[in-house]
Amino acid sequence: MPKIKKDKNGQTNSINQVRYGCALGAMHSVSAIPGAIPITHCGPGCVDKQYMSLSFYNGYQGGGYSGGAVPPSSNLQEKDVVFGGAKHLDQLIEASLKILEGDLFVVLNGCIPEIVGDDIGAVVARYQEKGVPIVSAETGGFKGNNFTGHEIVTEAIIEQYVDKYAQDKETKKKGLINVWSELPFQNTFWRGDLTELKRILEGAGWEVNILFGYGSKGVKEWLTIPNAEFNLVVGPWLGLKTAKLLERKYDQPYLHLPVLPIGAKQVAEFLRAIAEFAKENEVQTERFIKQEEKEYYYYLEYFTDFYAEYWWGLPAVYSVVSDAAYNLAINKFVVNQLGLIPGKQIITDHTPEKYHEAIRAEYQKLAEDVGAEVEFVEDGYIVNQLLKQEDYGHKPPVIFGTSWERDTVKELNGHIVEVSYPVSYDVVLNKTYIGYRGALTLLETIFTTAISQSA
Amino acid sequence: MAKEGLRQIAIYGKGGIGKSTTTQNLTAGLTELGKNVMVVGCDPKADSTRLLLGGLAQKTVLDTLRDEGEEVELDSILKTGFGGTRCVESGGPEPGVGCAGRGIITSIGLLERLGAYTDDLDYVFYDVLGDVVCGGFAMPIREGKAKEIYIVASGEMMSLYAANNISKGIARYAAKGGVRLGGIICNSRNVDRELELLRAFAEELGTQLIHFVPRDNVVQHAEIHKETVIQYKPKAHQADEYRELARKIEENELFVIPKPMTQDRLEEILLEYGLMDNVEDDYRI
Repeated sequence: MPKIKKDKNGQTNSINQVRYGCALGAMHSVSAIPGAIPITHCGPGCVDKQYMSLSFYNGYQGGGYSGGAVPPSSNLQEKDVVFGGAKHLDQLIEASLKILEGDLFVVLNGCIPEIVGDDIGAVVARYQEKGVPIVSAETGGFKGNNFTGHEIVTEAIIEQYVDKYAQDKETKKKGLINVWSELPFQNTFWRGDLTELKRILEGAGWEVNILFGYGSKGVKEWLTIPNAEFNLVVGPWLGLKTAKLLERKYDQPYLHLPVLPIGAKQVAEFLRAIAEFAKENEVQTERFIKQEEKEYYYYLEYFTDFYAEYWWGLPAVYSVVSDAAYNLAINKFVVNQLGLIPGKQIITDHTPEKYHEAIRAEYQKLAEDVGAEVEFVEDGYIVNQLLKQEDYGHKPPVIFGTSWERDTVKELNGHIVEVSYPVSYDVVLNKTYIGYRGALTLLETIFTTAISQSA
Repeated sequence: MAKEGLRQIAIYGKGGIGKSTTTQNLTAGLTELGKNVMVVGCDPKADSTRLLLGGLAQKTVLDTLRDEGEEVELDSILKTGFGGTRCVESGGPEPGVGCAGRGIITSIGLLERLGAYTDDLDYVFYDVLGDVVCGGFAMPIREGKAKEIYIVASGEMMSLYAANNISKGIARYAAKGGVRLGGIICNSRNVDRELELLRAFAEELGTQLIHFVPRDNVVQHAEIHKETVIQYKPKAHQADEYRELARKIEENELFVIPKPMTQDRLEEILLEYGLMDNVEDDYRI
């Protein structure tokens, strides 16, 4: 038997209980842009699988105008494999343009055409030459997961659409920023989160290209990407590649803030860092922080009665099992605002190796005197083993995780708050767990979960 | 399904070594022994049955599939050639598009569905293009269709490199199935000490040099006339060579899992028989 390669946690190249989709799952990044429609060139079942996992059984987020059951697909058959599927794709695009109204079409291919070597770029180029707003993205599943796919799609839209149609790529508009943060649909609460992120940034005086979701002006907003004063990457790593591309392309600097801010302390730090970076909006930032904190602490003041008095059974130790962005964000919040003690922290988004060290360093400075160890694991069995082996002291822990952790949490007699894909026991509309407002909701969820266990 | 006792044979070897020529000539020999034979060309060039059919006569399976869809009649893709041989060409997509390897899988699947593997067949030959470039081209051996493999080689260095590589593929598939190497067929290029080299090479692989087919221009003449040698000049010495090869294959009982060599060992053998020296000293352009 050949020897199977394992990492230090015993993880092989086979994983179960997946915590992301394949690169084609980035079709959701397209449908998250108002006015954009994905066209998929892949085998039967690929799109359904990505939709059912990333959108349906993850907060029941729905399909809307251009997601779910809407995206056209070539549903490739054996004939397309043998002879190539380019002609088939050509027919699909032509037909799609006849019946679908969109501001931008993004053709994404799956594994089959990419292995067979279909030149989707050449097919799409014929439409581009005719002035059709359409781009192609090579998102074969073997390229990586939907985080990778998201970067591929974003780059494709910038290179093939924005760069071509933006009216003026030279002028920089003072105070305008592009925000690269959560991964739409993968991050279950992205809709509410991006709305809150935009709200706090606007409150601090910035004009915001949020780019995805209801708060985005859609495809025409993307055309103003080159005019932004700078790019803001919020999260440990996703978006950095895009920011670097824009730095090269449009000479835009970028600010990388690894912590997605939850709660007053983090938001204030976040907004001040941006103002300091740009040397702008300092006064407005302070004014906004003051105003928001007044409201935030109004609610917290009343919460403190519960937090101080309800001393029989609230959790003291926590673990987070999630993508890197939410993981670090929750760690920062619960350590600094609730005084909880970190247990095992597990990042499950297959973060590229080159970012690991910097992320580990962030966990060493959760607070002045609090640090935590973080593991990068994708396999569900190992995740759950690590959780079971952790020492949580004499009280049951709170686990911020996914639906996959429910059985383990039951065994631990703990509390689970689902914050990461798949979130199959929450129906999510516009709930947010970030910013000022999201922090209050997160507190409600954590402690409602904790005290209702005995209900 | 194919009947028990049907021998399904795949012929591999470096591109241009003479696989198609050898296969067709040896097939002609087998028909003289009263055998019923089908030849399946597994090469997008679709030239594996030209000599048996007297030209590129039939439409390939994949062209037929492309033009007519799944509702294909067996008659439209299977033609009868010299000595009653049944000839099929898998064909392939246009160069640069699609997947030819998958095309072979599709073709063989279709032949099975259409009932091409009849009970009266004694032999099916798969003539597979050049090196085994991907899993699709290993199809005839991978799915246990062909259990017997012969590699056509010569005393030229690159042909032996290729033969050794092909043996690696056979060894891989032999581990999980019944595929075995039946021997090396030398299609002579009149290289110095060719017979000794091929014998040593075959022995090192753990197999046999099943036959040494000498070089003879009558083969080329027959090819120009779109015929096998047995048909073109039945009394020629070369026709007897192919008859001999056919007889040896009919009587062959030595089927092995090859032991492919390391690069170093292969080069040692080549050096031992002087081939490397020759290459070095050969300044012809």
